[in-house]
Amino acid sequence: MHKSETKPKAKNMKGTLLRVLGYANKEKALLSWVLFMVIASSVFSLIGPYLLGVAVDDVIAGTNKERFLLLLFGIIIVFLLQSAALFFQNNWMIGIAQEIVFRMRNQLFKKLHMLPISFFQKRQHGELMSRLTNDMENVSRTLNSAIIQVVTSTLTIVGTVAMMLWLSPLLTVLTLTIVPVMFAGLKWITNRTGKFFKEQQKTLGDMNGFIEETLSGQKIVKMYSQERKVIEQFAEKNGALKESNYWAQTYSGFIPKLMNMLNNVSFAIIVGIGGILEIKGSVSIGVIVTFTTYSRQFTRPLNDLANQFNMILSAVAGAERVFQIVDEKEEQEDEGKAVSIDRLHGEIVFDQVGFSYDEGLATLRGVSFQARAGETVALVGPTGAGKTTVISLLARFYDSNQGTIWIDGRDSKEITRDSLRKQIGFVLQDSILFESTVRENIRFGRLAATDEEVIQAAKEANAHDFIMKLPNGYDTVLNGDGAGISHGQRQLLSIARALLADPALLILDEATSSIDTITEMKIIEALEGLMKGRTTFVIAHRLNTIQNADLIVVLKGGQVIEKGSNKELLKQNGFYADLVRTQQQKAIM
Amino acid sequence: MKKLFKYIFPYKYATIMALSLTGFELVVELIQPVLMAKIIDEGITNGDMFPVYLWGGILLLLSFIAFVAGIVNSFYSSHVGQGVGYDLRRDLFDKIQQFAFKDFQEIPTSSLITRLTNDVTQIQNFLFMSLRIALRAPLFILGGMIMAFTVNVKLATILLISVPLLMVIVLTLIRKGVTLFQLVQKKLDRVNSIIQENLVGIRLIKAFTRGTHEQGRFEKVNKLLREDNKKALQIMEMTMPILMFGMNVAMVIILWFGSLQLDIGGAQAGEIVAVLNYGTKIMFAFTVFSFVMMNYSRAQASSGRLVEILEQETDAEQLRTPSKGKKIGGRVEFHHVSFHYPQALKRTLDDISFTAEVGQSIGILGETGSGKTSLFQLIPRLFEATEGHITIDDEDITKYEKEELRKQIGMVPQEAHLFTGTVKENIGWGKENATFDEIIEAAKKAEIHEFIMTLPHQYETMVGQRGVNLSGGQKQRLSIARAIVRQPRILLLDDSTSALDAKTEANILTSIKDQACTTFIIAQKISSVLKADQILLLEEGRLVAKGTHEQLLKESDSYRRIYKSQMQKEMEQLA
Repeated sequence: MHKSETKPKAKNMKGTLLRVLGYANKEKALLSWVLFMVIASSVFSLIGPYLLGVAVDDVIAGTNKERFLLLLFGIIIVFLLQSAALFFQNNWMIGIAQEIVFRMRNQLFKKLHMLPISFFQKRQHGELMSRLTNDMENVSRTLNSAIIQVVTSTLTIVGTVAMMLWLSPLLTVLTLTIVPVMFAGLKWITNRTGKFFKEQQKTLGDMNGFIEETLSGQKIVKMYSQERKVIEQFAEKNGALKESNYWAQTYSGFIPKLMNMLNNVSFAIIVGIGGILEIKGSVSIGVIVTFTTYSRQFTRPLNDLANQFNMILSAVAGAERVFQIVDEKEEQEDEGKAVSIDRLHGEIVFDQVGFSYDEGLATLRGVSFQARAGETVALVGPTGAGKTTVISLLARFYDSNQGTIWIDGRDSKEITRDSLRKQIGFVLQDSILFESTVRENIRFGRLAATDEEVIQAAKEANAHDFIMKLPNGYDTVLNGDGAGISHGQRQLLSIARALLADPALLILDEATSSIDTITEMKIIEALEGLMKGRTTFVIAHRLNTIQNADLIVVLKGGQVIEKGSNKELLKQNGFYADLVRTQQQKAIM
Repeated sequence: MKKLFKYIFPYKYATIMALSLTGFELVVELIQPVLMAKIIDEGITNGDMFPVYLWGGILLLLSFIAFVAGIVNSFYSSHVGQGVGYDLRRDLFDKIQQFAFKDFQEIPTSSLITRLTNDVTQIQNFLFMSLRIALRAPLFILGGMIMAFTVNVKLATILLISVPLLMVIVLTLIRKGVTLFQLVQKKLDRVNSIIQENLVGIRLIKAFTRGTHEQGRFEKVNKLLREDNKKALQIMEMTMPILMFGMNVAMVIILWFGSLQLDIGGAQAGEIVAVLNYGTKIMFAFTVFSFVMMNYSRAQASSGRLVEILEQETDAEQLRTPSKGKKIGGRVEFHHVSFHYPQALKRTLDDISFTAEVGQSIGILGETGSGKTSLFQLIPRLFEATEGHITIDDEDITKYEKEELRKQIGMVPQEAHLFTGTVKENIGWGKENATFDEIIEAAKKAEIHEFIMTLPHQYETMVGQRGVNLSGGQKQRLSIARAIVRQPRILLLDDSTSALDAKTEANILTSIKDQACTTFIIAQKISSVLKADQILLLEEGRLVAKGTHEQLLKESDSYRRIYKSQMQKEMEQLA
């Protein structure tokens, strides 16, 4: 991916820049005001010193005092206007720049929610985080100043070249001879900085990913006294970052030095050739002297421009990484004919459904079963049999590769994802909590729920008692990693959340695995009430929790090997009966 | 900032080199106008080409040397900048690795991430810039003032008053900027934390179709970040217009005052022009200065956040008589141990006493939130008991070096956390230099070997955040293999078989039994701990019953109740 990027860089860069600026569409008017102010401040910065010069002449000539004081007063006004123009151009530009950054961040974040689950499987959280922070920071840094600087420098260059041409076209051409050399040098440098900026942002993202992953598993690191090992691994990433940073910065440092030298070369050319011309009598001494001043004035903004160009490259490196995600393929569009559903009845049919996460490795093969509305379906099987995958397909986290899932007689692919998921209440294997109050965490299930409804749901999930024992009850703020409450308690909160959602379809994926059996019984009682009239899918390893299911589907290696009620399956005396017996035996022994 | 100064020390030679090279470039830059003047005055004006070639040649030579010096300087400056950045990140990460758990509660992960990347970058940028240009500005300002004084003391006094006055204004703005940039970094933490949360919970968010809700939450924080950023940058950008205006006014005053002096003979016209020239030079230096100061205030804001980590007091290792390298047997004893989390209202564990003999297996049962996991965490000293003491092989655990102690304990937490890397690496985590055979052996005992062999690259398959999709049970078994591979003397299984089916669980428990280490098992099902030598029953942090399954059945009402609840169900099922 990296190698192919080097060639069409120039084109990419322009496209990326225009795209970034495109975010300021609404601020076009303000942006033109900024440009106006830049021009104004440039003009004032010429007028001010000029008037000052006139005033100096006045002093030397000792002419009329009143005119002199008036002049001084005028100069102060001009300087005031210059500073005001500077102030406004900066102030507005920062506003625009931060607006762009704000919109880009928002869009990127929004995008994350539209990407399919499979996108997240191969990426480190920290690496994605880096794009929203470190990469955006690069964009922000450049936008704040680059536009103003580029315009100011360009104005100065154009003005100077015009003056030079007016004085002597020949000497102008001589001065400009260094420009190709300069461009060649700049190209040589920026080819390298551009590459290293990209490398730098990539390694920074990598490091961010490593830090995030390591710190979220810090307990294991400590427990296994692997601090030294992760420190070593970190050193490696840190070293890689240092390396790319080092070269990016070193090469960037070449720019002003190169410009300075070329500046002197151009001076030497002017005086050298100018001198010869003067002897021949084709230019005057005065012109040469003025020219040397102009050539300096010409190279200074060129130097600024070169530096800005370099800064822009680093912003582009960041922006490209942001756009890379923004341009990712979204969760497949709901098909054109897909309809939004209001209330599910709850009849689910799996018809020869097949699916694989990675090409070649089939996770599910020819899975078929049927659940009538209001029934409870239990999915049973050894770990890795594909139980969670069945549920993921049902909720359309993924779409099946083969076969069809019928929901209320309709192909599930013809139902919009959002409307389908709104009908489903999930209690997932990992109980995810957000850094927020207990109340808000439960309310996540239904945002419009009242406080009473939240408490009611907590009571039904048997979570109320422990919540009341927390330091601030329902207003206790939970850490992102749920520190302070136990794993089982987190499951209780997840259940309360699903209860609050009041869904037509309920999915319980190992919902009670970390809850003690007595509490579990109470919850199951509550759930049983809830399950009435709702189609429910249950995954559980404790088989006793699912014996009342209307249908038990036994999965093994991605295939349905048995299905039926508890009684039927025991009678069949197959895999399921075997599983039940193992548990029995252990219990009895 | 001062506290981070010591980080430059290892690079003192490179720093001195960089600064001297900058100085050299500065000298060449100052000589250049002199040479140019010579070329024009001696050569062009006289129509003599020899001085033009001579001085022009010298000028070219000097500027070439300056160019080379500048290139070399780039290497030195970025060596210092990047070296300091590297060292800072290294020390920060080292320090974080020494954090106790409670420290993580004080500074959340998302903030630590921002600090290790973004904040360090701010400091790096400032440093690189300082080495190359910052020196010039103050030198120019100082030099300009001195030169002005040599020309005309009275006129220069105006500069002497105005320059410090403007400095004070700049410093005030900078101080304000530092606080504002600190707020910016804090908002960045918040942004980071929401993104992290969303990434971790993406399935849940999709399941509950809460995308828009989360986007709203993010937008709020993002907006705050935008506003704080604007505020900080806009304040800092004010310095330049203010400085320019101030200096310009100062020059007008010089001119006016000069004209008065001219009348009374206190100054000459040439002197006025010269002082004005120096004023202009100082003004340009000031604009560079304001740019550097902006970066300074960012770096200052960030350095505070880094120092906070570096100076965090980590648990002092209480080493009285370190029993280094000592192999432990595995006898664990709790003597009236109580424990509460920092800032918690009540005790999580209350007066717990029991003894686990070498090789015994101890089952721990109890309601959700009764303190089972907390009890576990005390054994490898992830947290320290607040009252009472714990001994291993009759020696207080605080006398063991943490690392030595933990090396001999295998803990499998409730949530199986895997790291990005291969299956082999993840299991190998448990033991340094574990051979491949040992890893396979552990995988077999954890009943995961067969599954691994079905993976596309077997033991070389990538898992973790960037790896293949694993089910909860598969993750649990990998994490059990990780604990087994270290051949621990004490094994702690924290409800680590919850996602496993009964058969697999039974097989794993049997192979663990063969390990002959002291094993603690937290479980929900009595069947998982039925064969345990001792079962501890916790209720709200208190140990309400202990004994074998048979004893407890006889002696404990609570235990009987649990047993009945579970048996009843099992029996119903068979019926």
